[in-house]
Amino acid sequence: MRRRLTMKTGILGMTAIFAVAILVMGILFLQQTQRGELQGASRRARLWPTGQAQLVSVEPMLEEGSECLWVPASAPLTAGLLQQASPAAQRSVTADRAPVRTIHDPNPMFSAIAVAPENDMVVVTDENLFQVLEYNRMDNTPPNARMTEPKRVIGGSLTKAEMMCGVYIDPKSLDTYVVNNDTQNWLAVFSKNAQGNVAPDRFLAVPHGTFGIAVDEGKQELYLTVQHDNSVVVFRKEASGDDQPLRWLSGNRTQLEDPHGLTLDTKRNLMFVSNHGSARQRVSGAEPTTYPSSNYEMNEEAEPEEAWRFVRGSGTFEPPSITIYRLDASGNTAPLQIIEGPKTGLNWPMQIAVDDERGELYVANDMAHSIVVFRVTDNGDVAPIRTIKGPKTGIRNPTGVALDLKNREVWVASMGNHSATVFPLTADGDVPPRRTIRGGPAEEASLMIGNPGAVGYDSKRDEILVPN
Amino acid sequence: MAHPQIAAFARLAKGGDMPKRLVSGQGSKLSRTMHDIRYDEIHDEFLIANPFAQAVLTFRGGADGEAAPIRIIQGPSTQLGAGRMDVDPVHNEIFVPTGNAILVFPREANGDVAPIRVIRGPDTLLNDAASLSVDPVNNLIAVGLNNTLKADPKNNGALLIFNRTDNGNVKPRGVIRGPKSGIVRINQIDVHPPRKLVVAAQPGPVYEMEPEDAFVGVWSLDDNGDIPPLWKINVGPTSTMKKPFGLVLNPKHKELIVSDMRLQSVLTFYFPEIF
Repeated sequence: MRRRLTMKTGILGMTAIFAVAILVMGILFLQQTQRGELQGASRRARLWPTGQAQLVSVEPMLEEGSECLWVPASAPLTAGLLQQASPAAQRSVTADRAPVRTIHDPNPMFSAIAVAPENDMVVVTDENLFQVLEYNRMDNTPPNARMTEPKRVIGGSLTKAEMMCGVYIDPKSLDTYVVNNDTQNWLAVFSKNAQGNVAPDRFLAVPHGTFGIAVDEGKQELYLTVQHDNSVVVFRKEASGDDQPLRWLSGNRTQLEDPHGLTLDTKRNLMFVSNHGSARQRVSGAEPTTYPSSNYEMNEEAEPEEAWRFVRGSGTFEPPSITIYRLDASGNTAPLQIIEGPKTGLNWPMQIAVDDERGELYVANDMAHSIVVFRVTDNGDVAPIRTIKGPKTGIRNPTGVALDLKNREVWVASMGNHSATVFPLTADGDVPPRRTIRGGPAEEASLMIGNPGAVGYDSKRDEILVPN
Repeated sequence: MAHPQIAAFARLAKGGDMPKRLVSGQGSKLSRTMHDIRYDEIHDEFLIANPFAQAVLTFRGGADGEAAPIRIIQGPSTQLGAGRMDVDPVHNEIFVPTGNAILVFPREANGDVAPIRVIRGPDTLLNDAASLSVDPVNNLIAVGLNNTLKADPKNNGALLIFNRTDNGNVKPRGVIRGPKSGIVRINQIDVHPPRKLVVAAQPGPVYEMEPEDAFVGVWSLDDNGDIPPLWKINVGPTSTMKKPFGLVLNPKHKELIVSDMRLQSVLTFYFPEIF
């Protein structure tokens, strides 16, 4: 009894010491997260101190709770005994437990955007919670409101929709097409009435790593960029299941280099593609003709040697670019024009959209926090004719852009702050948006964690490193 | 995923706490699909790969904003084509799995540098080798085999154990594979040399959004055969995990840190048994 009492006293004493120690650590930690100590480049890029919080995650209670796990001290012995015992069934120990901490952004992260002006319909994809969200075109989140409630939400394990980087609305049926990037090899199509965790009304097996989507309604053809394959693949618009593509644009002459956004100018018979510039040479004769569809993950890290499509060691870093082709380009075809060079200001160009009436190309310029506008006739190292950028714009890490030519508006999806903003088509400079739809509080930035395939630990700085 | 970045969070961050640093932008030469990252404590550097430019990038430990890498391994001599790697800061080497081979480079390699050793050949059993981790104390390499085909998703994944200095067409000293192992495919791996353990993220079949049999498993580096893990944390309501992709050990605080693709989250588990 006395021993138990001593032990209990000891635990309480240790608890107190732990609590004080953690409190001190918390104070130190708070000091570290003050505005002045945030590193400059991150601040410039997109960070500001929330100040709130980091501190008071009084983790001590959780670590204190770990006193109950004193058992672990004997774990090495246990493990040794288990190994000696050897029967496989006896050695496997389920060690399920709750995490002591979880980093997670609770808000939707707007990625791609599409608008159907005749129906006042705006759809954004959310790459954080894996949702498709529909809003009314005229929605405008009040400054003090936490968010605007979407009219419709599609999301869940039945949807075949996850990392949705591209979205398209059929102007007649109002079906929503969403493109998965690097976790699901499906294009999913939802009817205008689909809602909740529902299977898509139609789905198509597509190559791994699709990003951009555009449709030629006149020819009923569906275009997709394939990041992992440096290609553009064209299907029938109504294709489904394992239907094969109509044609590919792919090969070393195309200068497709980590392609992302895609848009079509059917009046001028042109196709535009944005590229990040990570390049590699395709194995001669390995241009795709058919695709094995849903049977393959097409994960290049694990790709069978015989299926390898790129020359090992051929990688290079090229400047970001917009490459322009004839609408019907296929095979290993060089671009007609290339917008590329320091004057362009391109910095990870994402989704793109064309105004075929004015002959202008809008680019969501992720890391410049801007929308840059070029003429469709531009070629070479040219400066944009207009740039929407600055603190009044509310644009932060834009990944999506869409045009409403009926109402003369440009829509921007900002991944960095849970928002979609609307500007006049001719907006230029640091101008406030006409309207803003927010999916999360204005004062909370987005963490932009996406497909965290790995994690590292910086033991010098006590930091967790999370790549997307 | 639309936006590439490396976010550095305080160890005690939770919920929607902002990262302390972000590395991103054209100048960083990053891309998406960065499925590995390794911190080199001795030299205060971290390594990451850009699979679309077939490059291994080394950054200063405190890199921030649009920082450029301080070294880049890239070029025809490298034979590079994959996206994961590990660094051995003791023997100053970088190990890169590339499907059917393991390439070994000097740690300070920069530019178009040929590997100094290559493990490759039919005896190696390397096929779809997608991840690895180096144990510089026990002089071992743990290699994770992935699973590309849907046809036989339950049997293709494996952990292979090689000697650190192996070269050429060598047999692995250990093969952990089979239904008792529970391995379908292996993503990120870490090792704990003091106890000769390997920890692996086993996210289950790629095409299942929320696989029921995904887990994080711990094996001995001496294991061989169809061996269940010593310990495993399963996906489910207790762990909250749904699809563990990445992991790293923090021995100082006896923690296992897991990145979960389906949750878009980073979870820290107190896991003293490992240490």
